[in-house]
Amino acid sequence: MAQTPSTEARAGLKLISPPALYAILMLAAPLATVLLYSVLTGEKGSVSLPLTLDNYHDLLTKPVYRALMWRSLIVSFFVTLATVILAYPIAYFVSFHVAPSRKALWLFLITIPFWTSYIIRVALWRTILGYDGIFDSVVMGLGITDTQPNILSNGVLSIIITLAHAYAPFAVLPIFVSLEKVDRSLLEAGQDLGESRWMTFLRVTLPLSLPGVIAAVLIVFIPTVGDYVTPELIGGGKTPMIANLMEVAMLKQRDQAMGSAIAVGAMTIVALISVAFVLWNKRYLGGRK
Amino acid sequence: MTFSDDRPTMIEFKDVHKYYGDYHALRGINGTIKAGEFFSLLGPSGCGKTTLLRTIAGFEDISSGVVMIDGKDVAGVAANARPTNMVFQSYAIFPHMSVAENVGFGLRRDPRPKAEKAKAVAEALEMVGLKGYGARAAHALSGGQRQRVALARALILKPKVLLLDEPLSALDKKMREHMQVELIKLQRQVGITFILVTHDQEEALVMSDRIAVMFEGEIAQLADPETLYRRPNSKKVADFIGTMNFIPAEVLSEAGDKVEIDAKGLGRVTIDASMAPPAHGESPVVGLRPETLTLLYDDQKPLERETDGVIDEVIYFGDMTYYDVYLGGTDVEVRLSMRNVPGRPVLEVGTKVRVAWSPSALVLFR
Amino acid sequence: MKQGTGLGVYAILYLVFLYAPILILPVFALNDSQVVAFPLKGFTTRWFGEMWADANLRSALLRSLVIALSTSTIATVLGLFAARASVRYAFPGKPAAMGLIMLPMVLPDIVVAMALLIVLLSLSVPLSMLTIIMGHVLLCMPFAVAILTSAFQSLDKSLEEAALDLGETRAATFRLIILPLVMPGIIASFLICFTISIDEFVLANFLGSGKPVLSVYIFGQFRFPAKVPSMLALGTLLVLFSIILLGFAEYMRRRGIAKAGGKDSGGFL
Repeated sequence: MAQTPSTEARAGLKLISPPALYAILMLAAPLATVLLYSVLTGEKGSVSLPLTLDNYHDLLTKPVYRALMWRSLIVSFFVTLATVILAYPIAYFVSFHVAPSRKALWLFLITIPFWTSYIIRVALWRTILGYDGIFDSVVMGLGITDTQPNILSNGVLSIIITLAHAYAPFAVLPIFVSLEKVDRSLLEAGQDLGESRWMTFLRVTLPLSLPGVIAAVLIVFIPTVGDYVTPELIGGGKTPMIANLMEVAMLKQRDQAMGSAIAVGAMTIVALISVAFVLWNKRYLGGRK
Repeated sequence: MTFSDDRPTMIEFKDVHKYYGDYHALRGINGTIKAGEFFSLLGPSGCGKTTLLRTIAGFEDISSGVVMIDGKDVAGVAANARPTNMVFQSYAIFPHMSVAENVGFGLRRDPRPKAEKAKAVAEALEMVGLKGYGARAAHALSGGQRQRVALARALILKPKVLLLDEPLSALDKKMREHMQVELIKLQRQVGITFILVTHDQEEALVMSDRIAVMFEGEIAQLADPETLYRRPNSKKVADFIGTMNFIPAEVLSEAGDKVEIDAKGLGRVTIDASMAPPAHGESPVVGLRPETLTLLYDDQKPLERETDGVIDEVIYFGDMTYYDVYLGGTDVEVRLSMRNVPGRPVLEVGTKVRVAWSPSALVLFR
Repeated sequence: MKQGTGLGVYAILYLVFLYAPILILPVFALNDSQVVAFPLKGFTTRWFGEMWADANLRSALLRSLVIALSTSTIATVLGLFAARASVRYAFPGKPAAMGLIMLPMVLPDIVVAMALLIVLLSLSVPLSMLTIIMGHVLLCMPFAVAILTSAFQSLDKSLEEAALDLGETRAATFRLIILPLVMPGIIASFLICFTISIDEFVLANFLGSGKPVLSVYIFGQFRFPAKVPSMLALGTLLVLFSIILLGFAEYMRRRGIAKAGGKDSGGFL
């Protein structure tokens, strides 16, 4: 069949248009609306002119907003730190110590929990960590303490534990992929040149797997910043994060302009941190070549 | 080579150009391919040989010019309506079908009754040496078997032209040499035009009636294998086909069908004008193949000319030995090949030797 | 190797940590006590009975099934278009189009939900199962595209050309060659989208009408301690169901790659 570049381009455009149109109507247009609303004045379910930056001013100065954004960042930071640190040895183990034929099985085992009902997993942590819950009954049954630890009463801590568990598999995969790409002969070369195992790891394996670590950081950080369910269910609404704030502004206070500004704020935080990591990664890799 | 020039034309290119964006992939291709000919498109990767083959198949549009197949301009004729079939480099065997389903794929629209089609499939399989393989799953075949299936699948439609895109490149050396012979036999048996794309000059020389050598989107030379080997029309073609020594030379005079030159280390020689292809504006060199140079032992007399030399390097190949020799006290070094026969020891580096050569083997490039 | 065994022990502990909450599900779903704590009180199946007797839960499940089936069908069809276009054709604006289609993967769900909600409200579109489907398709499409892209990539382009060369039309080539070879990918995409949709809470909560879908219903029930055991029973069944679906999806994906003669390059994430 005849294929000049222009007929090929036309065929491609024709094919891409249904999904692209869908994404434009259902995603690009709503996001543009959010962007527009965020610079309007909101009141009781409607928005009005003139254009203003008041919402952003409030977002950056009012203590309640600043506190919640700060809390979201702290929670995400610790969740990301915990998941990545816990995930690295697992990824290393599967990549270096598991027979090639069984690697897929290990990855499958690690990813299954991610695909099982998120709500139920989060809710389970509530029953595990709650007053006289499973954790309390185990700890007291073993005689470690005789008062209920009731971790659930510490909102931020229980949110971190729950999210760290929920996103654990997410961190393993990118690190595993980058470790798989490490040329095994480099490691042998390192040891051949008299390096210890540990030094070889620090000087060869770890730097080479850094892109995977950064991907893991992003993949965990992005969804946790905007998580809605966990603060709602675990914190019982008493430890809200930025997503819950967005909901309150939009639906309870019916201030769509402020809600939009918060949404843009959340996206900006995600984008800034992602870009920072990507740039750092590029510079690091570029510097080594 | 039994090919005769008076056969009818099967394919004709008239000033064919092909652009991919800014990239000029085919730069004015002209030439004809005869009916029943085994024709090869030979060149390094990126020279446009595969693109040219795909313009015949109908997978690529040309930007300008004309491609004629069997006397008809095929512009705008889709691949599925052309009298050509293709054997792909990857063989493109449909992995979810049996061998027979693969071979019979092109007969789906054929109005013949089922039994006749099945007979045609069986015959095609027998022709390629896969009798009784019809029920096998296609993905369970070896490389050589896949290729045979691809051949049978293309030939069952009785095309006027069979296009082969590097069909032997995925096979190991032994299998490749075996299939070269099989393909030649098959082509004689079915008698249709075969057009082979290859980057392997030896393969092209062995199999083809005629060869088009392509560089950078142009046909550099279109000739039969012997002409291509003995009288390449440029230094570039000479360098691509086999091994050739290049010796700086000076053109002294040109008169009628004779050219007199002075080649460094060889001295003054008169060669036939037919061995001096048109000039390219380069500084003149003469080329000669390693096997046209011979070491003279003891009291052997040269048939024509003789030059002194010193062996600089010895490369032993078992049946052959290659010697790199400095000619006549100059810094001109040539490689020559000698068959290793009993009673003639392999010579050592530094040995002074006499080199016999023939003026008729010289080609002048300028 | 000593280093290996240390890591091996860690790997087992890690899997225990990953699976602990899921393993707790059946234990307490079968425990004869309303209080979810040790020690266990005895074996019972009454929580499963209570769950099954809950008419609201059944209707929530039905809504979820309708939404998940519609979502996975639409997302897979749209994903087919996008994956085919991205693998096979070069066209202007391709990175932008693909970027937009994949964007929901990196956007917080709440932002997607709120943005859609604002537009729906301003256009006075009544919230319903349809609006949930619209949102879910948006979320699932990137996953469908990712799975189908790998299916199309393992497809040798010359297979299509061979079929055309042997006299078939483009339509017949698609039906006889391409579709059978990417079918395992299509099934895997369908199953993954189905799982995501059934599970999804945020969009289902904000884009739905007052009638809850399964995830929203479960979310609400966990506020009442008396309802927790029967929710654990439900969770047990859901987890079992997901594992079966995922196992099947993974099997189809691998079979697809093997069929197309390609090499396995990892899981579907």
